[in-house]
Amino acid sequence: MPQEAQISVNERAFIQDALKEQLRLDGRAFDAFRPLELTFGDEYGVADVQLGKTRVIARISVDVTTPLPERKFDGVFQIITEFSPMASPAFEVGRPTNAEVVLSRILEKAIRRSNALDTESLCIIAGLKCFALRADVHVIDHDGGLIDASCIAVMAALQHFRRPDVLVEGEKATVLSIRERDPIPLSILHQPLCVTFSYFEEGELFLVDSNLAEEQVRDGEVIITMNRHGEVCQIAKYGGAPVEPYALFNLTSLALQKVKEMSKFIQERLDEDAKRRNAGGLLAELSAENDRPFDRPVG
Amino acid sequence: MAVDTMIVLPGDEVPQDALPTPTGKKKQLTLGPGLRHIPPSTVASTIVGALVTDDKKVAAWIESNSGRYLPTAGDLVIATVQTSTAEAFNCTLTPHTPYATLPHLAFEGATKKTRPQLAPNSLVYARVVTATKDFAPELTCVDPSTGKSEGLGPIKGGMVFKISLGMARRMLAGSKGGVVLLEALGEKLGFEIAVGRNGAVVVDGGKVKSTLAIGKAIQEVDEQALGEKAQKKLAERVLKSV
Repeated sequence: MPQEAQISVNERAFIQDALKEQLRLDGRAFDAFRPLELTFGDEYGVADVQLGKTRVIARISVDVTTPLPERKFDGVFQIITEFSPMASPAFEVGRPTNAEVVLSRILEKAIRRSNALDTESLCIIAGLKCFALRADVHVIDHDGGLIDASCIAVMAALQHFRRPDVLVEGEKATVLSIRERDPIPLSILHQPLCVTFSYFEEGELFLVDSNLAEEQVRDGEVIITMNRHGEVCQIAKYGGAPVEPYALFNLTSLALQKVKEMSKFIQERLDEDAKRRNAGGLLAELSAENDRPFDRPVG
Repeated sequence: MAVDTMIVLPGDEVPQDALPTPTGKKKQLTLGPGLRHIPPSTVASTIVGALVTDDKKVAAWIESNSGRYLPTAGDLVIATVQTSTAEAFNCTLTPHTPYATLPHLAFEGATKKTRPQLAPNSLVYARVVTATKDFAPELTCVDPSTGKSEGLGPIKGGMVFKISLGMARRMLAGSKGGVVLLEALGEKLGFEIAVGRNGAVVVDGGKVKSTLAIGKAIQEVDEQALGEKAQKKLAERVLKSV
């Protein structure tokens, strides 16, 4: 399994010394995220998340298939993660690193198994036809905090995505193109987001959104997924050092605060994007006037 | 650095009058990295960057901020020890590249009985002795002519800050590189620094706070390409904060 290059002894000792003096390498507070940036593509369902130097792009695509025989009324939803070798020399195509395995497992638990997406709404004709939704997560640049960034990217992309409408007549279903009928947003039941806490010094010290260097020094991590209503979807703990149960209570309340901030941020960006797409409003759509060149043609 | 910089793109022909003319003893023009001679008399660039000329040495090369470090003989580097074999340490200069070898005896005063013990992932300031494309690069921590370390050797303490290769070159070039930040900081602050051509600087300012402040100031000069005036301003700001 390919591995990230290990951090040097000097750096490790320095980071630990700095943390004892309540300092982080980039001068952030212990419970602060790096600057978060979220942009949407021209197409529906493309979200580009930048968390400090980490960059993740999520893309949603849809296809029509037959539903699984044991789940006749459900559509198919898959999350596929891919670490591009562009992000870090430690990544290779086809050989997942430890981080990649953990990421795909956490996303599976956090988004798919927490029923964030109502898969029943993807069903077209029970037992015959359904939509297969696929979320591709591409890691473009890696500087730690991949789980948090990927989760934001997938949830933002799902909320941004519009699936084509279908016309069902008996056993015949027709998928209508965007020109024929306005595409439909997905039915999303809740918006889970992940907050990763890295702990140091045997669980004495917790950091939010650690960067790559801090991730390599930490004793372990606690990943809490919850939605803005305070419902915990999953808690995962990796790494050996023990964490006190009482500390977990504190972490969940801190996570809730962070998740609320992030949800608000995603919603703001979604609204901005919607406004940009709907430039002239209904009036512009109803107008029969074509775009005219400003310059009068010569001659 | 030349005052009037000329930016070239790959394939651009460099006009004759932009190159130094060989005079006196040295009759030949030396072409450095990024320039290629196409006979009979065309000089073209192979990379994008700024054309730099040195009239004294009758040399010209392209200064660019390239991505990955390629070892060249004579370079000062910060190497990370990975493993130790019977006779040498295996070190990496950049992650995920083949090892460079650092013989156990290439330290000051090292004999077969008193060779240094270096743990995996410890840092060494070393010089590249040989670097060929078919063979692992060889490092040393002594000057072969004097047998002294000349400041090279294992690095204790401090923190590594990643910088671009162009910045590392500028910092090692002294006054020609146009980095006045360190001198400005050094007037009030005491610190140790080791610059590696492989894009790493080790700073030790004694205290965590000053080490961080110096390291971040260097990275800021690199990322924002600050000129001399801006560097002095930055140094003042850093000195105030520490």
